[in-house]
Amino acid sequence: MILENEFNRRDFLGNVTSGLMGIGLASLLTGESQAAIKKPHFRPKAKRVLQIFCPGAASHVDLWDHKPMLEKMDGKPLPGEENIVSFQGKNGPIMRSPWDFNPCGQSGKMITSKLPHMAKHIDDIAFIHSMQSKTNTHGPGCIFVNTGHPTEGFPSAGSWISYALGSENDNLPAYVALTDVRGEPPNGKANWSNGFLPAKHQAVMMAAHQPIRNLKNPSGISDKVNRNTNEFLNYLNERHAESHPNNSELQARMNAYSLAGRMQLSAPEVSDIASEPEHVHKLYGTDSQNKLLAAYARNCILSRRLLEKGVRYVSLYCASRASGVDGLLNWDAHKTLKEDYDRHCPIFDQPTAALLTDLKQRGLLDDTLVIWTTEFGRMPTRQEGKTGRDHNPDAFTLWMMGAGVKGGTSYGTTDEFGRRAQENITNIWEFHSTVLHLLGLDYKQLSWYHNGFDRRLTDVHGRVIKELLA
Amino acid sequence: MLGNHLYTKMLCHLLVCFYISLTANSENNLFESTIAPILETKCIGCHNTEKAKGKVSLSSFEEMFNGKKKLILKGNPHKSLLFKVIIPEDGEKAEMPEDGDSLSKSETESIKKWIESGAHWPAGRVLKERSKADKSWWAYQKLNHKKPEVKSYPPGWDKNSIDAFILEQLEKKDLKNSPKADRRTLIRRAYYDLTGLPPSVEEVEAFVNNKSASAYEDLIDNLLASPRYGEKWGRHWLDIVRFGESNGYERNFIINDLWPFRDYVIRSINDDKPISQLIKEHLAGDVIANGNPQVEIGSAFLVAGPYDDVGNQDPAAAAIIRANTMDEIIRTTSEAFLGMTVGCAKCHDHKFDPIKTADYYSLYSTFSGVRHGRRVWASKEAKERFHNESEPLKKEIGQLEAQLKKLAAPDQQKEKEAIHKKLDELKSKLSKVKPLPQAWIGHRSAGDAKGPFHVFKGGDPQKKGEAVTSASISTLSEVHKVYSLPENSPESERRLKLAEWITSDENPLALRVLANRVWQYHFGTGIVNTPSDFGYMGGKPSHPELLDFLAEKLKENNWRLKSIHKLIMTSQAYMQSSEWRENEAKLDGDARLLWRFPPRRLNSEEIRDSVLSIAGKLNTSMGGPGFRLYKVIQDNVSTYYPLDKHGPETYRRSVYHQNARASTVDLLSDFDQADCTLSVGKRSITTSPLQALTLMNHSFTIDMAGFLAQRAQAGETDTEKRITRAFQLAYQRQPSSEELKQSAEFVKENGLKALCRALLNSNEFIFVD
Repeated sequence: MILENEFNRRDFLGNVTSGLMGIGLASLLTGESQAAIKKPHFRPKAKRVLQIFCPGAASHVDLWDHKPMLEKMDGKPLPGEENIVSFQGKNGPIMRSPWDFNPCGQSGKMITSKLPHMAKHIDDIAFIHSMQSKTNTHGPGCIFVNTGHPTEGFPSAGSWISYALGSENDNLPAYVALTDVRGEPPNGKANWSNGFLPAKHQAVMMAAHQPIRNLKNPSGISDKVNRNTNEFLNYLNERHAESHPNNSELQARMNAYSLAGRMQLSAPEVSDIASEPEHVHKLYGTDSQNKLLAAYARNCILSRRLLEKGVRYVSLYCASRASGVDGLLNWDAHKTLKEDYDRHCPIFDQPTAALLTDLKQRGLLDDTLVIWTTEFGRMPTRQEGKTGRDHNPDAFTLWMMGAGVKGGTSYGTTDEFGRRAQENITNIWEFHSTVLHLLGLDYKQLSWYHNGFDRRLTDVHGRVIKELLA
Repeated sequence: MLGNHLYTKMLCHLLVCFYISLTANSENNLFESTIAPILETKCIGCHNTEKAKGKVSLSSFEEMFNGKKKLILKGNPHKSLLFKVIIPEDGEKAEMPEDGDSLSKSETESIKKWIESGAHWPAGRVLKERSKADKSWWAYQKLNHKKPEVKSYPPGWDKNSIDAFILEQLEKKDLKNSPKADRRTLIRRAYYDLTGLPPSVEEVEAFVNNKSASAYEDLIDNLLASPRYGEKWGRHWLDIVRFGESNGYERNFIINDLWPFRDYVIRSINDDKPISQLIKEHLAGDVIANGNPQVEIGSAFLVAGPYDDVGNQDPAAAAIIRANTMDEIIRTTSEAFLGMTVGCAKCHDHKFDPIKTADYYSLYSTFSGVRHGRRVWASKEAKERFHNESEPLKKEIGQLEAQLKKLAAPDQQKEKEAIHKKLDELKSKLSKVKPLPQAWIGHRSAGDAKGPFHVFKGGDPQKKGEAVTSASISTLSEVHKVYSLPENSPESERRLKLAEWITSDENPLALRVLANRVWQYHFGTGIVNTPSDFGYMGGKPSHPELLDFLAEKLKENNWRLKSIHKLIMTSQAYMQSSEWRENEAKLDGDARLLWRFPPRRLNSEEIRDSVLSIAGKLNTSMGGPGFRLYKVIQDNVSTYYPLDKHGPETYRRSVYHQNARASTVDLLSDFDQADCTLSVGKRSITTSPLQALTLMNHSFTIDMAGFLAQRAQAGETDTEKRITRAFQLAYQRQPSSEELKQSAEFVKENGLKALCRALLNSNEFIFVD
């Protein structure tokens, strides 16, 4: 009931047209006090989220969505779309995946043989094969997946969830983004932006190779002077607060300093990957000769440690922005699919699978939702004169596993070529609705007033995909 | 001649027709006045032809009466599904509408009577969802205010008209105003308000000791005349027009020639240029410039927002990207200047405000010629000079090259060489002609602006609906003149016409929105607390009459701001103490009714600028290319890395920081600097541990604490005097004896620099009373 009251504030306001009451409350809708929700709407299945994002449009037909027709019709024109022009231009004939697909797990689900470690988790995964995007461009595609809008300026899912549920741990941020050692994803920091939500809901950037900014005490100042300075600051603020009674902002700022102090202790602790036993390092692959694999593996371990400590939303990136050479730094395999994915798949495979294994062994999957995302799919055809695939916003695969998810599910299908989503066509809004639902949040109620609109993560769309729920 | 018989027959026929049309008319009227409004506001949102939720649409006669589900049994409401679902049963909320309020008793009665009387549906009538507010919404009315009724004026409160409006509301709620703030508080408040910087120790002392009756007014006049004023209020304006210096999206490349627009805004504000003129120049500066680059640069507004520049070979996808680019301009224009969320009418008529998709797409047509990019930006004289210097050279080069082509014979080798030599000389000369400067003003393309333009159904460029041309926004048609341009009107005329329409004295909305923005920046919250949305979803005005009074004043003053600032700042309401009082706070916690002056935290630029200022390091040079607190790595795309060390070249006012999109730069970002991606009418104010980490640990603070300590101890050997000086610089007051004692002890053990570091982090430093 408490929650209903909280969420009915607007309805109530709608009836109050004048008078002080209305004004006082109306200000709730624009001030920080809009962020007064700290409880889910109903009993949640998941307490926190791990998002693994493979930027560059990781190919559904080469990873998760097996299409025997591509093998059968390799080199033949795509029926009905012989002359199709997509993002980079003309398409050539159908191109089979360079690798075979193998049946995996109890379910016998077919996935690519390029991901042997991931194959072990197939029975826990719920695939969604019928995703469609509104854009065929990486940057807008990435933020569309993260914010529900292909245009910039909107809050990311992690920010919404930070706003809705706050932090589980007073000493660590609620929302952390771990960028890849190769750099930021397309559209960069807009992917974990707070948009119009208060700045405190933006992700804090940290990674194994990059500590939180300004976390360390300044060099050349002793611990003792630091401690004394903090105490003296507190003295100044206390005195000031005495002469300015009942200003909650002043108190909040004093609290922020003590939280910062605790963060200075707990963040290095949680980042101390070296303290993990050797078998863990082996499992993830931090000892690999492949430096990119080892770097990603360290971020995978860090992700687990953050989740363990109750960080609400961890966004873990595997690959980065577009480089001058397509497919070099991320999954954008336009010209040389085989070479590109021979590079990307191993970096992704072992560490990610190890992370899932580790989470499972520790019981964390019971209340952690794992989502795997990319911005759109790729064409079943090769680009004209090339051996790679162009962008395809009409079909792609995402998946989820963990808390509240029905493992071993495949929801929705694409046509026999993987060209278009065909059955149970869905989108990121429904995906987000489902994520929010698992967190105990009603996607219709989680809103924030901004420039004329009660904005939602799912825009004016959304539907919980019940078929994915355990 | 007609026979009698025939005549009578015709007459009868006419009468019957008349009778029939009379009943039909009255039934039509009944339908229009009672039934249509209910269905259109409560039902059609879900049950329309397109959505047909639950396979039910109530949009047309066909769907209502001949659909799959039997909705109405004429004459019998209780056997009609339409009626059954709207009445509550057993105390439960009625089944429909699923979202939103149930129908009122009188509404269900109307539906009942309508079904009983045969459920007449006017021929051919199609219902459409109706917005919650119509043209009678308060914000769309002409300016209107009456003299406030005040029972008794406290001393001094009967001089400034603003105070009467404030008192009227305070009296109504039994709230008591606060006494005047002390002079030290007032000067600090006024300085931050108008310049974004703290007063110097000397200025504070001079003002506190100034016994002149006009001391305060003189102070305001001086501050308004200070170039720092334009930097502070220019920054407000830059928030509203979402000024950013990278293109955003995937490439996010940095734009190095948009700073002239920032300088133009600051200059315009300092010059007290009418805001109507500023807006006109934003929308059509290139049209009215008449060769004046300082006016032309105003239209860089059109292209100062983010846009996606990644090429796309797929024509449908490219059309969507283009539509999104237009959308960005339409939204910013309507929110910034009109407080209208026209963007909501992209896919369907606005759900809340009387804004049609046709309004949206007529703006689309207005802006359709705009393309992002840079172009030559120079005066007529400079262009002529360039032309005069380069054209003869070019001409000569052309002639020589033509000659060269004719010289084919082997015996002409010598001649050829001579020409080559001459050509080299000329080309070298040409390359030395000083090129004309360029600026990010964008291009205007007649080709792109070629109609016809259509509504895109559901926002999809592939689904063309009704044709539209550039026109006024229908929302204000009852109070403001309307216009509609022919399809082939030049795109320059479309923008100019819109600019004139927005900035006309007859446009009450633009004036209200502007007046409210000014008020908000003075008091922290606007009279309407949603400054860019004056529609149904926005806040209601706390003092509607005051808002209209201020709007009128603006109009009288030709849309100039300085006189309005002075009017506001010389009100008793503004000069009140910010002291908290329990009784008043219980009734009006955030002081919307202004029983006290609402205290506030400094914004990000003010914090950084104040740190530099009190450390004695602020470089106040104005204009030119901005400085950067990040390193940018640019290959195919750009990545921005915040700097760990800020050199002296960055010690300028923050308004001159080259703000790139999707980049974070420690202090400025942590303290809620506006995201320059959307128009920001009001910044959020958050408190986070990251702010504490940055302000405590970033080398900027440590450096500045050192400079502040140096400044405090300069020429002073006594520790207590040094401490006093540091307090004065940071807080514009002396320390109390207790503070002095504690500070002295602290300094003894930790040094003066540590004290300065604490001061820079303290609440008193970054809050204004």
